[in-house]
Amino acid sequence: MNIASHLDKIDRFEKLRARLDTMGDFELWFWAAMNAGTNAVNAALHHAGATLADDVFPTQPGVYLVPCKDGKLEPAFRPPGDVLHVGRPKIEGPLPDDVNAMMQAMEVIEHHRDPCIRGERDATPEIAAECAQALEKVLALLRQRMSTPGKAWKP
Amino acid sequence: MEALDHRQRAERIERSIAKCGDADHEMKIEGAMLAGTHWVNFILHRMGVTKAELDVMHSYMLTVNELRKYSVADAEMMAAIAEIEDIRPAHVRGNVPGGAAAADRALELLGTLRAKAQKLLA
Repeated sequence: MNIASHLDKIDRFEKLRARLDTMGDFELWFWAAMNAGTNAVNAALHHAGATLADDVFPTQPGVYLVPCKDGKLEPAFRPPGDVLHVGRPKIEGPLPDDVNAMMQAMEVIEHHRDPCIRGERDATPEIAAECAQALEKVLALLRQRMSTPGKAWKP
Repeated sequence: MEALDHRQRAERIERSIAKCGDADHEMKIEGAMLAGTHWVNFILHRMGVTKAELDVMHSYMLTVNELRKYSVADAEMMAAIAEIEDIRPAHVRGNVPGGAAAADRALELLGTLRAKAQKLLA
């Protein structure tokens, strides 16, 4: 997806997260944070020229919904565009240090996804703080990157 | 996870969804997916189709055999959660116009799942 749309989503996810109660709404609070971070990583990967910023949308690693001439969306194999989650799929090749740092911070958030959202581990204020801090780092790195010129995608 | 835990989590997520506004179509859809999946697990556990140790996470990650089996239990239920999942690529990960209507549809499907679960509570 194009970078502007990623940034728009991050802005709206962050506004919603600010309205939610961190512990009382933990599932949606966490999910908004995770989605904001994933969009940030995708925007950074596009900006670094590591992935395509086309408006095609992943259904599973390697498969994207692609707009057709009749306006419908059809699944098709495509080169790496948006990742679904950090590491899904893994983006091959050397990446800039700041993008690697963003992905490492996202791993902190992703680590809590299944146990706290799908599983039976109760979220704690410490877990929420850890996730909030990791996302803050991701978004700060994105802002820094966006203030510099981007690169075109090279396969 | 035990059936009643699924119910509590589904209800909690639904309360959070109610805090979403017009600009939050993505999180309405995601909330419908998360709460809906809890309702599906509640129903399957209550019907005795699956045990607490075996929770469905995403309908698209089920094996063909599992999907067939759970559809025997309630085909409409499995179709509802699958439709919610199918809304996500275009309107959560993507920027396809019509996000608000897609969110309304996801919440309608969530309502279908909740109604099915509530019948098992009666």
